[in-house]
Amino acid sequence: MDLKEVIGLKEEALKKIDEAKDLKDIEELRIAYLSKKGKVSGLMEVMRSIPKEEKAAFGKEVNIVKDEITKALEAKKDELKKIEDTKRLEAEKIDITLDAYTPKLGTLHPLTLVQEAIEDCFVGLGYKVAEGPEVELDYYNFERANIPEGHPARDMQDSLYIDEKTLLRTHTTAIQMRVLEKEAHDLPIKLICPGKVYRRDNDDATHSHQFMQAEGLVVAEGITLGDLKGTLQFMIDSLFGEGHKIRFRPSYFPFTEPSVEVDMSCHMCHGKGCPVCKGTGWIEILGSGMVHPNVLKMAGIDPERYTGFAFGIGLERVAMLKYGIDDIRDLYTNDARFLEAFKRLD
Amino acid sequence: MRLSLKWLGDLVDLSGLSVDDIIDKTVKAGFEVADHERLAYGEGLVVGEVIECHDHPDSDHLHITKVNIGDEVLDIVCGAPNCRKGIKAIVAQVGAKLPEMTIKKGIIRGVESNGMLCSLLELGVKKELLDDDSPSLSGIEELDDRFAVGDTDILEKLGLDDDILEIELTANRSDCLSVFAMAKEMAAILDRKCHLPEYEGYSDIGDKTDFRLMSKTANCPHFLAKVVNSITIKPSPAWMREHLIASGVKSINNVIDISNYVMLETGQPMHFYDLRTNPLKEITVVDDYEGPYEALDGVTYDIKKGDIMITDNGRPSGIAGIMGGENTKILDDTKGIIIESALFDGPQVRRTANRLGLQTEAAMRFAKGLDPLAQKKALDRALQLLVEYADAKGIEETVEWGKCTYEPYTVKETVEHLNKVNGTHLTGDEIVSVLKRLDLKPEVEGDKIIAHIPSYRANDLKIAEDIDEEVIRLIGYDDLEATLPKMPMTIGKLTRRQSLRREIRAILSHNGLNEIVSYTLGDKASVEDTLLPVGEPICLASPLNDARKYIRVSLMNSLVDTLAYNEAHYNKDVNLFEISTLYAKGDIQKERLAIILSGDLNNSKVLHSKVENSFYTIKGLTLELLDHLGFELGRIQVVKNDLDTTHFHPYRSCILKMGKDVLAILGEIHPQIVEEKKIPKAYYLELDLDMLVDSKPAKIQAHKISRFPSVSRDLSFVLADEIAIGEVIKAMKKAGGPLVKHIEVFDIYTGTQVASGHRSVSFNIVYGASDHTLKVEEVNEVHDKIKATISERYGGDLRS
Repeated sequence: MDLKEVIGLKEEALKKIDEAKDLKDIEELRIAYLSKKGKVSGLMEVMRSIPKEEKAAFGKEVNIVKDEITKALEAKKDELKKIEDTKRLEAEKIDITLDAYTPKLGTLHPLTLVQEAIEDCFVGLGYKVAEGPEVELDYYNFERANIPEGHPARDMQDSLYIDEKTLLRTHTTAIQMRVLEKEAHDLPIKLICPGKVYRRDNDDATHSHQFMQAEGLVVAEGITLGDLKGTLQFMIDSLFGEGHKIRFRPSYFPFTEPSVEVDMSCHMCHGKGCPVCKGTGWIEILGSGMVHPNVLKMAGIDPERYTGFAFGIGLERVAMLKYGIDDIRDLYTNDARFLEAFKRLD
Repeated sequence: MRLSLKWLGDLVDLSGLSVDDIIDKTVKAGFEVADHERLAYGEGLVVGEVIECHDHPDSDHLHITKVNIGDEVLDIVCGAPNCRKGIKAIVAQVGAKLPEMTIKKGIIRGVESNGMLCSLLELGVKKELLDDDSPSLSGIEELDDRFAVGDTDILEKLGLDDDILEIELTANRSDCLSVFAMAKEMAAILDRKCHLPEYEGYSDIGDKTDFRLMSKTANCPHFLAKVVNSITIKPSPAWMREHLIASGVKSINNVIDISNYVMLETGQPMHFYDLRTNPLKEITVVDDYEGPYEALDGVTYDIKKGDIMITDNGRPSGIAGIMGGENTKILDDTKGIIIESALFDGPQVRRTANRLGLQTEAAMRFAKGLDPLAQKKALDRALQLLVEYADAKGIEETVEWGKCTYEPYTVKETVEHLNKVNGTHLTGDEIVSVLKRLDLKPEVEGDKIIAHIPSYRANDLKIAEDIDEEVIRLIGYDDLEATLPKMPMTIGKLTRRQSLRREIRAILSHNGLNEIVSYTLGDKASVEDTLLPVGEPICLASPLNDARKYIRVSLMNSLVDTLAYNEAHYNKDVNLFEISTLYAKGDIQKERLAIILSGDLNNSKVLHSKVENSFYTIKGLTLELLDHLGFELGRIQVVKNDLDTTHFHPYRSCILKMGKDVLAILGEIHPQIVEEKKIPKAYYLELDLDMLVDSKPAKIQAHKISRFPSVSRDLSFVLADEIAIGEVIKAMKKAGGPLVKHIEVFDIYTGTQVASGHRSVSFNIVYGASDHTLKVEEVNEVHDKIKATISERYGGDLRS
């Protein structure tokens, strides 16, 4: 055995390593060359028969060979492992276009979405959310709201009466009247009152005998019409996104004075004019005003000292505008295909 | 309110204002303009004379004409029967624009036609406003001597060059149903002068009368009547006809037109009766007449007690405030008249008009309210016009029943108050100038501004806040500064009930259920046969129809119907819930949650992964929901359904109790209902939400996690079918004591390996202790005890 043979062994090993096809070949080569009984270890045995003066050089050479083979093995092993890993992942390939297993999410009703959006907007401003009975006394529904006897709404023809004194409330104003009475001595009042209301209307694409409103009420010292404007601007921004203009138009409600109808700039065309706003750039969105002094007086609140504002918004109207619903009856039919759309975040 | 801008222009200076300006200012002052139309429209119109007219050889009705329009002669083919040589007609030349078309050169049955001869209908005039003998009704309009060939100011000369605004009035502004009041309002809005005719006192003349007038009903508190013995029936003057037509009222003759015209001017409905039909010269207003009555529209109406009726000579002669009668109406040969200018109760007129389906201009005005001085104003104005345009003579003195109780009054306003309410910074001078525009004759007294309210605003302007509004509405809201209330901080929060609802909605929607909102009102059947009604159903006294007559007392029918709708529309796997308050007689009010499940709760066909709904899905969903809300399993007892087995499958339903009270009922909907309602097999829950609101939920309490390992053992027993496994688990837990941490069924087997009437049930039991590692002997001891208990108590045959 001489150095030439050692080199030969090395070259043989490196060649085999280079030809190795998989990790199994690598393992076999490792055993064949580097294990205790392997060929490189065999060279150590040969050392004994080497003349003393050549031992050092031979030993050095053997170590170099061992080192080179080890490194080559490892490098080849890494290379093959990478290839095998890639192959394995390839074998695990799936069709990502197949239908998924979808955890089915249900939906909140669009009227609930609108109601909660309004509630959240005002709860953030420190309002309480108040409720009241749908079967309501004529007294709270009309009398307290400054709607006198003989007013068309008080006719059996227009409202759903149960008996002479009771009816299905025609507006959520009735809730305000109850709270005003109860909290007259616990001012200020900051309320939002959502709920179902009823009118004696035939159902069609734009009318429903049952619908929902949310009314707001603030009573304190120094409340102005300007405060109403600022508050409503905040609500419209919160419901429809920032950047909408609002406009007040004088109007009439028995329970407010002054009364204003509120328009917002069209959310579809941003005021340019489109079919949704009938070319005007404006959309009528709610009615409001300063609480009528008679309403405050009846509740036992001094209108000389306190003023307040109130507003009422139709939840169906908001839902229809926001979500592009063109028939109010869709909101009450509860077709699963219609409801599906509302699983999206607003 | 149809407002003719031409008429308005006669009363208010509109010079320099475009129609759009006027509309914009009107809208901003609180009057919605619902529509703007031209009374008639045509561009490129010219007066032409038909100088030749021959029959078209290929047609039985067309004429081939030559029409002289001044600077040229046009060949025009015309189909109108009244087209003939010598008449003057409205020529729409090639290129002319009419409401529905643009005129083009054409060949009609082989003959060239360069224009069109027009009917007024083609210019957009409404058919019902034309005179009965108008040529435009059956052919082309024939122009009179006022028109010369080549004239282009045709619409002006016809009085049809008018813009009509359809103005929507708010309930407080019924005064503007009077053109006079509207003119004053527009003058205030536009800040222009207003010139109304002078007519006050014109009815104060008259000879002695023997006319007798009385009312037997409180619903006619004031009535002015006047006999005019001689009038001449003839056509009305052109300006009156034009104003009437522009206002949508057909012109008939001078006398009838005056009654309508005065109503439009003053807002007061008037009626004229033919004097001949009233030999006893008396009118009595009653409200107890019953029977048929023919009104002047030729229709016989069914009059009932309560309807206000005009009677004379012991017979009905008019439906008060709505329409006169056929038997007393003005005819072409009428010589004398009785004038009625009266006040009838608005709500009653409205009820009668609604019931009879007779919505007249008069009825609408009574229903909405009149100027308290309107009866006298109208009578004055009518007399003035009758004298001038109907040769009224033999005028008798006015007869009055009741009286006008109106007293003029003032409203006090201060600068400080106005600015405080509006959030503005207006000066006293600015306020006074607005009040002057409104003709409120403001007087300044110290810090007070006193407004004198005209009678026509008496229904509306009563307190300082009303004045606050008048001022800001005319100044305009555009410049009103938007602020937020300056007030102490308040905490905004939801009540427990409101939060609870939100939690329930969140959990159920996250679990695949869709929330619904359904109608509160239903028919009789929907409240008669229903699950656990909250009480005796409330029936509406004035329902719109039988389908919406009762207030629901349970949610089940609503959810079942909604499921049936979806089934009929091929919507599958429909899982719904609703939260709603129910009402019943005796002030009962209860809020409930209802759930309906059908098909699968989760479904993926490709991956064969789904949860098919069953009694157990609705039970599991409900118990998990309750647990989440702070009502853990330990507080809820699941017991046999002995409350309602007509709506539920008697063996696949149960009741949930909290303490002694029933919290909910749930289970499979009875197969009979499934069949009747054509719904898929479905599972239903109805739960008393009030009970959850009123009960205290458990607080979150962190568990101490044992540091020692637990031991898991399985057990299988053969048990008779009738043995409730829930009971067996309870007994196992009791027998096992504190070391038993959890027991769960992981398999139930029935089949050939097990005797019939039995099932093999496999349990997994987890043992553990928080203070030491369990020894095998310890576990064995407890496990054997459990085995023994099952064997002894339930005859369970141990399988492994």
